Amino acid sequence: MNNFEPKLVCFSCRFSWGYLADEAQLAAQIKNWVPIICSGKIDAAHIVDAFKNGADGVLILGCPEGDCHYQDGNFEARKRVYLLRKLLSSYGIETERVRIVLSSDPEGKEILNHVRDMTETLRRMGPVKKIKPVSRALAAAKAKR
Amino acid sequence: MATKPKVAICWLGSCGGCDEAVVDLNEAVLQVAEAVDIILWPVAMDFKYHHIEELKDKEIALSIINGHVRNSDHEEVAGLLRRKSQLVLAFGACACLGGTPGMANFTTKEDIFNWVYRDAPTVVNPKGNVPQPKSKVDGKELTLPEFYEQVYALDQIIDVDYYLPGCPPPPDLIASAVNAVLAGKLPPKGSTLAPHKALCDTCERNKTKPPRIALKDIKRIHEVEANPDTCFLAQGILCLGPATRSGCGEVCMKINLPCRGCFGPVEGVKDAGTKFVSALASMLDADDEKEVKRLVDKIDDLAGYLYRFSAPVSALVRKRI
Repeated sequence: MNNFEPKLVCFSCRFSWGYLADEAQLAAQIKNWVPIICSGKIDAAHIVDAFKNGADGVLILGCPEGDCHYQDGNFEARKRVYLLRKLLSSYGIETERVRIVLSSDPEGKEILNHVRDMTETLRRMGPVKKIKPVSRALAAAKAKR
Repeated sequence: MATKPKVAICWLGSCGGCDEAVVDLNEAVLQVAEAVDIILWPVAMDFKYHHIEELKDKEIALSIINGHVRNSDHEEVAGLLRRKSQLVLAFGACACLGGTPGMANFTTKEDIFNWVYRDAPTVVNPKGNVPQPKSKVDGKELTLPEFYEQVYALDQIIDVDYYLPGCPPPPDLIASAVNAVLAGKLPPKGSTLAPHKALCDTCERNKTKPPRIALKDIKRIHEVEANPDTCFLAQGILCLGPATRSGCGEVCMKINLPCRGCFGPVEGVKDAGTKFVSALASMLDADDEKEVKRLVDKIDDLAGYLYRFSAPVSALVRKRI
């Protein structure tokens, strides 16, 4: 478990996070970083897809409360996250694996801190539990015929 | 006589409701029986599986298969019919999506066996017997189908040509599907033989929906006396209409029940549940974090609600252990 490196996907809204930073330089330091315009753009399906494709956690960085450029995109994102946490726990994916932070950091330094902090949480939790993909079961079943 | 196309109707893990739906075609069933040669229909006729094994490959024109796949018997019958058939129609929510038995994917095989053979209050099982695929009795070996780790939709086990969802599929869609096969006027392989739109698009109650739904509270249908003419979501009652394919004839709405999603996702969508999460989130009138938590906590078994008919085909498939 010591050499386990968690796979974290980080979405951050461009309006509050890292817009003064050199994006290329920041991107080089953060794996799986997806800067977007408005956290409200993140569909529940994007987060679920991240887990489906092997992510151990998803971090969403949205604008501070009351500061959304589009009025309430960050609130929409937060509601989705809370609903999704409940949904994911039924699939055996712990609620702590999805985190949302509504704050602001134009320089982008805090992005790194948030990513490190959540990566440490995920490291303590260990990898997300896996299931045998259906496609493999399907292939095995079809191969029998 | 010999030129009539052969049709098999078969159930796997099924309640029999889909077979009942075929019978509900009423007189039209007799016309279908005139036009085709039904060679297997376990619920209604006395043909045996070895009759099917004796057929040549692809000799059956169409196999209409309902029910999910949970054990090795289901898998074997599905495979047999696939080999012997030119076309396979996944019939009903269980075959298309996994169906209500698919909710078992939110628990484990072990938990199911423990409950059914040990922990349920009505169980008397002093020897702790649990069914095994093979067991010795009086020197003879008895076998049972193997119970799989999860529920599968039909196309996760065999190739499926067409899909007809619904719990059960309504008679008009069954008739048009069978007629399309008989007339050879079929859409591309892999099509769902039902409308593409979402249920809300055809729902009578849609016109009562306010421009923006802002829910202060979420209610369950048995907790309130729902207004029979108003959009359920506008009343704060969860209704899967926005994320569910139409074609059912709004039978649930007509008896004042919200949509539960038996037609599965709309065209082009694989996972209806996450789409509904996004839709539902936007309907919750809660900017305050505490208020969001309160509203979300009020929903019992969100996963079961969103994937009542489709857990096995959902993006995350089943519970991780």
